[in-house]
Amino acid sequence: MRLAEALLALFRVLVYIFLLAPIAVVVLASFNAGNFLTFPPQGLSLRWFVTFLQNDVFMDAIVYSAVLAALATAVSLVIGTMAALYYVRHAGKEAETVRVLLLLPLILPEILTAIALLFFFYEIGIGLEHKIALFTGHVLMTLPFVFLNVTTSLQGRDEACELAARSLGASRMTAFRRITLPLIAPGLATGGVFAFIISFDTFGISFILKGTGSAPLPIQLYDYLRFNFTPEAAAVSTVSIVFTLVAVVAADRLFGRKA
Amino acid sequence: MTEVSLLSLVKSYGGAPALRGISLNVGHGQFVSLLGPSGCGKSTTLRCIAGFEEVTDGRILFDGKDISRKLPEKRDIGMVFQSYALFPHLTVAQNLAFGLEMRKVPKAQIAERVAKTLDLVQLTPYAGRYPKALSGGQQQRVALGRALVIEPAILLLDEPLANLDAKLRDEMRGFIRDLQKRVGITTIYVTHDQNEAMTMSDLVVVMFDGDIAQAGTPEEIYNTPATEQVARFVGNANILDLPVAASGAGMAEVTLPGGAALSVPAPATPGARLGIMARPEQIALADAGQGHLQGRVTRRLFGGGYIDYEIATDCGVLAVQTPANVLAGEGAAVGLVLDPARLWPVARDAAA
Repeated sequence: MRLAEALLALFRVLVYIFLLAPIAVVVLASFNAGNFLTFPPQGLSLRWFVTFLQNDVFMDAIVYSAVLAALATAVSLVIGTMAALYYVRHAGKEAETVRVLLLLPLILPEILTAIALLFFFYEIGIGLEHKIALFTGHVLMTLPFVFLNVTTSLQGRDEACELAARSLGASRMTAFRRITLPLIAPGLATGGVFAFIISFDTFGISFILKGTGSAPLPIQLYDYLRFNFTPEAAAVSTVSIVFTLVAVVAADRLFGRKA
Repeated sequence: MTEVSLLSLVKSYGGAPALRGISLNVGHGQFVSLLGPSGCGKSTTLRCIAGFEEVTDGRILFDGKDISRKLPEKRDIGMVFQSYALFPHLTVAQNLAFGLEMRKVPKAQIAERVAKTLDLVQLTPYAGRYPKALSGGQQQRVALGRALVIEPAILLLDEPLANLDAKLRDEMRGFIRDLQKRVGITTIYVTHDQNEAMTMSDLVVVMFDGDIAQAGTPEEIYNTPATEQVARFVGNANILDLPVAASGAGMAEVTLPGGAALSVPAPATPGARLGIMARPEQIALADAGQGHLQGRVTRRLFGGGYIDYEIATDCGVLAVQTPANVLAGEGAAVGLVLDPARLWPVARDAAA
């Protein structure tokens, strides 16, 4: 028994190393004092963070990605919640079809969704103008996460609560706002955080559909790495990792136990 | 207080109709039970009255005013759900206040009316608790309080006792009945439990297959059921299939296998057969050779205050219930005494 437990513990440690080592390497490399992206770092310094903060291209990209993610999340929250309500309460026989269709962007390789959108938007004559294709792609990629999380919190709830509110004099809209919304808030929060992170990090969709002009952070980083090999890229990644971590921890603290 | 009328209510979901044109009148302050097996349309009727289902045809009147096209929130009803449907994110007091807030009642009045209603449903000490911190019976009373605090025109209850254990169910039965009498509100109660319906109601409406089979006082439904189906649903019933020997003046004389004759209030022609209902407690046991009918005890179940017998006779196996001081062992030959005043002819089921 002792041996089995020890082996299990060892296995656990190995899994964690496998998952976390690359992140640790990136973070450590970002504090590199040298001129090249190397590991172990040659001396400790924050100079690459300063370089990054002074680099308008990256700063613009971060803001651009954050705004894109926020807008995509907002639209996904609205559409995803409506879809979840329909799926749980009214879809009946079509429920499974509805679910599969909504989850398709999650099931298909991202690149397929991206190419399909590319064809579609050229076919209808919009092409990659005005970032409409890029935005649509981000909404599609984030929608399943909102849908899944809201569906889960709806399924644990009694539909009679809404009917009870109606019988007490609340209109459909008031019943949704006062009763349903507070009950699915944990699902909305978790789904929203997921959606934001997915949009912030997604590469394939952004790469194919970005068009001309400003680009999201992952694309900018990719472009940068093709011609440069400085620790600045690691600094950008570290900031991005911290960003994601803070969002996840905050969501878990706020809603983790309830969801 | 409000009078509720259903006029030829039809509800259809595309296939066979769930309600086949039912009509019913519920008087001021009456307690009416809709009783029937699952799928008989009793819950559909309630949901139509509440406005959760749109009626396919027919009308619903509150005090003569047609409300069948109104939205649920405009109907002024209080409803208690089988699952209670308490708002889990609100305290007991906030649950009660919700309906008053929707009616734009001033804050001070809300507090006062909530306090009064909490007192009525005996939950004052629990005002600040959340529903999940309450027992089933307490949750039930919150649901009642929430429905009553808005002083609705009518109170609708959908199998409210189904989720409680037997002892609590008996308690709540009395509690709801007392409360309804005290408040004097017109109440429609849906249940599949004939005992609940009989003990609580002024009027019992027995429903089968989307239609009303019989509406009457609990006594009428129990003692003078319209059909064999009703007789069997509202209690244990022995149905004796007997030939008519003579008839006249609205009475028929039927002959039992042993030759004994009984007269029952039914128009019938001699030679026809009549279904005669006798409840188990309306049959008494006597020594073998005496009484209207002879039989042998095939099963004897001691029930505390009473004994249930199964007795094989020439009229089939009959259920008999006697006080516990009447002793006849299994296998004993006994005579059965029928009470002619309580025999009742019922229409036989087509299938029987």
